[in-house]
Amino acid sequence: MEVLKEEEEGKEAAKQEAAAEPAAEPTAEPSEEGEMMQPQEVGRRGTIMTQEMLRDLEKKLLGIEITVPEKPSIITKDTIDISKLPCSYQSNTPEEEHLLEVADNFSRQYSHLCPDRVPLFLYPLNECEVPKFVSTTIRPTLMPYPELYNWDGCAQFVSDFLSMEPLPDPLKPALWEKEEAPPKKYAVRPPRDLTSRFEQEQERKRQEKIKAEEERRQREEEERLQEVDSTGTDPLHGLRVHSWVLVLSGKREVPESFFIDPFTARSYSPQDEHFLGIESLWNHKNYWINMQDCWNCCKDLIFDLGDPVKWEYLLLGTDKPRLSLVDEEDDTLSEDYDIENLGKEDEDKCFDMPHSWVEQLEISPEVFETRCPNGKKVIQYKKAKLEKWAPYLNSNGLVCCLSTYKDPECTKILEVKEWYQNREDMLELRHINKDTGLIVDYFKPGHPQALRVHSYTSMQPEMDRVMEFYKTVRVDGLIRREETPKTMTEYYERRPDFLSYRHVNFGPRVKKITMNSTESNPRTVLKITERFFRNPAKPADEDVAERVFLIMEERIQLRYHCRENHITASKREFLRRTEVDSKGNKIIMTPDMCSSFEVEPSEHTKKLLYQYETMMQLKKEEKLCRHQAWESELEVLEILKLREEEEEAHTLTISIYDTKRNEKSKEYREARERVMHEEHLQQVEAQLDYLAPFLAQLPPGEKLTRWQAVHVKEECLSDFKQRLIDKANLIQARFEKETQELQKKQQWYQENQVTLTAEDEDLYLSYCSQAMFRIRILEQRLNRHKEMAPLKYMALEEKLCKDPRLAELLKSFV
Amino acid sequence: MNRLYNSLEPRVMDDDMLKLAVGEQGPQEEAGLLARQEGILFKDVLSLQLDFQNILRIDNLWQFENLRKLQLDNNVIERIEGLEKLTHLVWLDLSFNNIEAIEGLDTLVNLEDLSLFNNRISKIDSLDALVKLQVLSLGNNHIGNMMNIIYLRQFKNLRALSLSGNPIAEAEDYNMFILAYLPDLVYLDSRHIDDHMKGLAELKHQFSIDELKHRENLIQARLEDEQARREELEEHKAAFVEHLNGPFLFDSMYAEDVEGNKLACLHGAGELLEAYKDKFVVICVNIFEYGLKQQEKRKVELDTFNECVQEAIQENQGQGKRRIAEFEEKHLLSLSAIRDESELSNLEKKIVECSKDISELFNTLMTLEMQLVEQLEETINMFERNIIDLVGLFIENVQSLMAQCRDLENHHHEKLLEIAISALEKMVKGELEEDLPDEVRALFVDKDTVVNAVGSSHDIHLLKIDNREDELVTRVNSWCTHLVDKIHKDEIMRNRRRVKEINQYIDHMQNELDNLECSDIID
Repeated sequence: MEVLKEEEEGKEAAKQEAAAEPAAEPTAEPSEEGEMMQPQEVGRRGTIMTQEMLRDLEKKLLGIEITVPEKPSIITKDTIDISKLPCSYQSNTPEEEHLLEVADNFSRQYSHLCPDRVPLFLYPLNECEVPKFVSTTIRPTLMPYPELYNWDGCAQFVSDFLSMEPLPDPLKPALWEKEEAPPKKYAVRPPRDLTSRFEQEQERKRQEKIKAEEERRQREEEERLQEVDSTGTDPLHGLRVHSWVLVLSGKREVPESFFIDPFTARSYSPQDEHFLGIESLWNHKNYWINMQDCWNCCKDLIFDLGDPVKWEYLLLGTDKPRLSLVDEEDDTLSEDYDIENLGKEDEDKCFDMPHSWVEQLEISPEVFETRCPNGKKVIQYKKAKLEKWAPYLNSNGLVCCLSTYKDPECTKILEVKEWYQNREDMLELRHINKDTGLIVDYFKPGHPQALRVHSYTSMQPEMDRVMEFYKTVRVDGLIRREETPKTMTEYYERRPDFLSYRHVNFGPRVKKITMNSTESNPRTVLKITERFFRNPAKPADEDVAERVFLIMEERIQLRYHCRENHITASKREFLRRTEVDSKGNKIIMTPDMCSSFEVEPSEHTKKLLYQYETMMQLKKEEKLCRHQAWESELEVLEILKLREEEEEAHTLTISIYDTKRNEKSKEYREARERVMHEEHLQQVEAQLDYLAPFLAQLPPGEKLTRWQAVHVKEECLSDFKQRLIDKANLIQARFEKETQELQKKQQWYQENQVTLTAEDEDLYLSYCSQAMFRIRILEQRLNRHKEMAPLKYMALEEKLCKDPRLAELLKSFV
Repeated sequence: MNRLYNSLEPRVMDDDMLKLAVGEQGPQEEAGLLARQEGILFKDVLSLQLDFQNILRIDNLWQFENLRKLQLDNNVIERIEGLEKLTHLVWLDLSFNNIEAIEGLDTLVNLEDLSLFNNRISKIDSLDALVKLQVLSLGNNHIGNMMNIIYLRQFKNLRALSLSGNPIAEAEDYNMFILAYLPDLVYLDSRHIDDHMKGLAELKHQFSIDELKHRENLIQARLEDEQARREELEEHKAAFVEHLNGPFLFDSMYAEDVEGNKLACLHGAGELLEAYKDKFVVICVNIFEYGLKQQEKRKVELDTFNECVQEAIQENQGQGKRRIAEFEEKHLLSLSAIRDESELSNLEKKIVECSKDISELFNTLMTLEMQLVEQLEETINMFERNIIDLVGLFIENVQSLMAQCRDLENHHHEKLLEIAISALEKMVKGELEEDLPDEVRALFVDKDTVVNAVGSSHDIHLLKIDNREDELVTRVNSWCTHLVDKIHKDEIMRNRRRVKEINQYIDHMQNELDNLECSDIID
């Protein structure tokens, strides 16, 4: 772990500065992505490599203060049991020995010719302390997971396994920009702008000044922060050697070569200035040294590994890499041709790379799903921490947690994002803002109450909260409900009554002296505002757009929809104050109880009768509305209760296809396996050759005589009879033994009956019943055996008669 | 039939009777009190029941414009009449009367339920206008011919039919026949029709029904064809180039041209005429296609213009609405503040402020409207120029094509004249071999006659061409003027409506405030 950390440190330093010094040493993989290294392999190799490098790096690093906070190590270093590894790990084959000699020779020549360059990384020690040539550590393997088929998925998996930072997909789709529609021919000119230019200018200047001031301050702040961050430049710049994966262009439609950082799964172009240069490349077939000058980082490098001037190879012509030449011009092609011919001539002389000593690589589905070692992983970022878990590892379904902090020391949490999977309540993401205390829950479709988003600060009712719903699920068309301590606002869509919005203002609770305090005591409703969409079936003058019930004032306000080509809308207000006039007569309706403004006054609506009927209707609807508001309150309570229960239980769903976790599926699978197994056994039995032992006694290869056939048959039958008798005897013996034991026990009981404790008596009784059961079973088996034995005997006889080896002979005998 | 008939005098449907009925059937209790106070207008009545009134003649119902349901059962009505104005009627009950023929229902297009039970009707007809008919009750009548059922096939929504008590219901085949010929029926004589019976009936009458269907389909197809042709012609007319996509014009040139037809018999004239016709038709088709193209262009132009104008108006309306909404929000607050205010000086100040707000709103809205008027005026003028240009170009090009026609005609005329003169010469010399009809031969008495004949034919042709051209030009010009006039007029109307609307609104606001003042002062 330490090793990895330091390497990352070095890499970051390399990213920050870019100087033209060739120092990097990427692992090159000029093979197709399908043949990617197995991740465990990568991890091991990385470790080995850095151990090697560590020796000279360690001294230099010792003198440097590392300001990175200590991160908790979640991967315990694998302690490898060397004795269990196959012998290919522990020793070298003659070919490998030969290869090592070649490599040693090569290395010596190299250090002689290029004394300035870093020694070559050719044969590090493996986990068994055995030197192995780097190329033989790579074993190209095709994995059965489609995610691993392409480089990005594969690199992602490797980086997860190496417990390094993951990255969002680098190929984000471009944002769709709305195209500005071209001006139409008869588009009217915008009205003249009569505002004062001067004033605007002045205002703008003032704003700019403020903005500039702010920007300046911000910049200063940033600079200050940066200064704090980048204390001390990296003295090791350009000295570190890293391992990278290089994918060469050509096969599998790779358009151009690129690097992959195995720790982040990020791809880099060779043009990237973080790469200072390349020392050498290797794959499972060969090893090349870069002979090109890296003064301009890797930008000018030509990855034509077939060119011996640019790339010095270790082994001659095992496999000519001619990836880059597919689309090249003619001259390069001919050159390549020469090289190939050369290779063919030397075929006999050349030495092939030995086969990899690494074991067959296998990733079990469990390991693949778990991804990280132990299914857990913590990544520390600057001011943030990312934790990952494998699915089903946490009982509440938590799979990912991102905490952001206010300070670089990571002590004050700013916000937390928790991702869940396989939750039965469909919770997908919980976003907790520690500053405001606001919690936002996001649900996937399928929550029993159709919840989509729930944001709240507390689970207590009548507090600030917003609930959003999946609109296609709810019958009442509710899509959003906002609550504050005094109000509740609901938004609807696609209702047959065209209701779009309902806003309820609550007053304080009236203190009622009720006997049963458990009865809900709803708050008084002060005001209900409802808005409606336009109902195309009604004329605008009769289609209410908004109605307000001012319940305390007994006032009802209606606003109608606006007619087409109008800017004013009809309004009507009903006010009912007095029920009885000065003489004590009941007032039904007076003109002052309804004031209205009509865009197009009509005689019909001026009538008191019409107004009276409308008012009565509204009164009825007011009651309904209040009931609705009350029901909404109840529903909120219900949802809150349900949410609490769900949170309490946090059950996880398991797909029925997941036969490992789903109990039912597991049982079913196991039952099926058992059945299959039994069937298999039966089949084997059916194929059992009864005659085999008896035929074996006869001299082989000779044809049976009739006498021999009869003899064999007799022998087989008598043997079978003996076995039947033996079996009967065995059952009989067991039966007798059980009976005897029971009798003994009974005797013992009768003798000691007086002194026995209740416990002993119980024990005795249970023994008795069990013994009786056993005896009964044995009796049954014996009886059954007696019944079956003759049948079985006859069946065998018949079978033997029909046996093709005996049938002919026996038939004539009969 | 009606026991009361003899004992009682028939009554007249007069105002008193109707008023009484409306009053009795109107709102009850509290609402009834109100209704009595105010009186109910006949045109507000939706449903009227006039049964057992001994009515002989339907009358005085023209005021009930909005009536939906009318019950006139159990009277002594003899004719269906006086229902023409009741176009909203959905439900009409005329059962238990003395009606002998179905009539007077041609305006009741919304009728869904018609009951003529227990009358003296012997033939089902005159129901064509009732396209929405769902329930038809004709029981206890004198219908005797089964073929009346076929008449009912045209009512696609008819679901319930009752015919029991008619002579036809006695027939053995009655049920099966109706089920087979009216397959969409769900209830017959108040009984639900089961699918099994329907299947049987269909099988039984399959042959004749298939034949009937085939005939109906043929008629339908012909109607559709005609419709399509009419529409096409309308389209061509809109492009002002109807009947130019073929030899119509050419044929019309020769339709009234006696001499021309005679001369065509001459040797060589026939071929000449054929060639001339071909060329002429090509030009006509050119004009036709050009006309359609131009029409398309004009349409696009007009659509773009309309769209832009609508956009501008919508935008302006949106602004207006926003202003009003803002104002109303503020206004409500200030009104309630005024209501709550107790101190007189403050009150006055607030009222003044409020009315200032109102007049400010008025100014804003009027400014917006003036802006829109200016914008639209400019746009309309631009459109006017463009459309006039377009029309001008169209006319110019059509005229040049017509000129080609005229050239062809002139050319043909010259050729024909040559042929005619040579024929005359030959005739004079007696060399003419051809056998010419006598009337043609009569033309060749002397040179003048021949030249005159050819000339008059030519004149007729030119006249036809000129007429067609004139027609096209006048029509397109008048279309253009009308269009432009209409646009201007519409814009003026729009402006007036808006100004009126604004004034009305502002007046209302001001009145409201004044009323508030008054009541406050009284308080």
